[in-house]
Amino acid sequence: MAKFHFENIDIKAIVTTIGNKKIKIEDEAENFGYDEKMVNRLKKRMGFNSRYVVKKGVCTSDLCFQSAKKIFEKFDKSKVEALIFVSQTPDYKAPSTAIILQDRLGLSKDIIAYDINLGCSGFIGGLINAYSLINSGLNSVLLCVGDVASNFSYCKDKNLTPLMGDAGSAILIEKGSNRADFVMHSDGSGYKHLIIPDGGCRNPFSEDSLKEVEEDGSVRRRVDMYMNGAEIFNFAVKVVPELINEVLEFSKTNKEEIDYFVLHQANKYILQTIAKKLKVEDKLPMETISIYGNQNSASIPGTINAFLNEDFSNKKLKVLFAGFGIGLSWGAGVVDIDKIYAPKIQEYKE
Amino acid sequence: MTKQEFLEELAEVIDTEIELNEDTNLDEIDEYDSIAILSLINFYDELGVKVKPSDFENLKKVSDLIKLAGDKVE
Repeated sequence: MAKFHFENIDIKAIVTTIGNKKIKIEDEAENFGYDEKMVNRLKKRMGFNSRYVVKKGVCTSDLCFQSAKKIFEKFDKSKVEALIFVSQTPDYKAPSTAIILQDRLGLSKDIIAYDINLGCSGFIGGLINAYSLINSGLNSVLLCVGDVASNFSYCKDKNLTPLMGDAGSAILIEKGSNRADFVMHSDGSGYKHLIIPDGGCRNPFSEDSLKEVEEDGSVRRRVDMYMNGAEIFNFAVKVVPELINEVLEFSKTNKEEIDYFVLHQANKYILQTIAKKLKVEDKLPMETISIYGNQNSASIPGTINAFLNEDFSNKKLKVLFAGFGIGLSWGAGVVDIDKIYAPKIQEYKE
Repeated sequence: MTKQEFLEELAEVIDTEIELNEDTNLDEIDEYDSIAILSLINFYDELGVKVKPSDFENLKKVSDLIKLAGDKVE
């Protein structure tokens, strides 16, 4: 198991920007062929209610740009020595979006900038990278995470599309005085359960890529994300409780010492099942999905900025983060937080 | 648990008002869909039966769901 222990590193700021178009499940039920009874089941079981998406053409980097600008109203951007962009929706297939953001944000040319392709585990993967760079001698790292899932979820895909929200977060990590412990796992044998089949080297884009295909009651194209919901659910409820116990043990922390369990907001049913297994229902926020949708790698910072912003701004906390999903990939961290800059979640301004 | 108890719990898990018996065809139950499968994965887990999503493919009748529970149902 990949385990990471860090000392004297702080998360200084977390800011999240969401798409500015709110869609309620009732408004799009017809597109998916959902009747009133089904809408009510989805609300009750899965926590579906509303979601925020971007208008066509807005990229993840635009949301992260707005988040980062807000951070640099308070913090000195000339100190930043690395920019990491974690996303499945880059601006271009090449070059790295992180490098484009270096210029847009007016950061020094003397920085390292690169993209990481991770989804729902991306906040943890991104933090491990950022902390490792600080451990190697850098002073300040800007981590950007998120996705505009509306870009890859097809309008007629009733399994995936009503679940997804668009968000981009920026996180500032600097030398400091706090500790953090992380663990990470990867299992490529499950790669087919969440996949965009066409457009890469394995299946290059072709005329067939845009043909609508009906599969398990949903319609999508081969350039869109496919999700096998039952396999992902089964994976999540099995590995996440083990993952959380593992990171608690590695960091020598009792679960009673944890102030908040901030998990990737996959759907309400997954979170309820995990919270029940671990008996931590009162410390595990799970409302993000119902209001904002599943925000991929931005769902952990998104939950902080939406629901925990006051405690993160004003208190010393011990928090447990856990992300899990596409890859398959899953990871968790126990992180000490000491009164950081965490303003309320903001909508994208055009 | 007894077969009758299993059938009652099953109706609750699937969230259906149809009275279930062994011969009920699964495709007669409106609520037996992808959400119900997730609930069933949890239900079997709580019973102590390890199931995979693919175990639910090609099941026809409620009796198949009883069989899946193995010796947990008398």
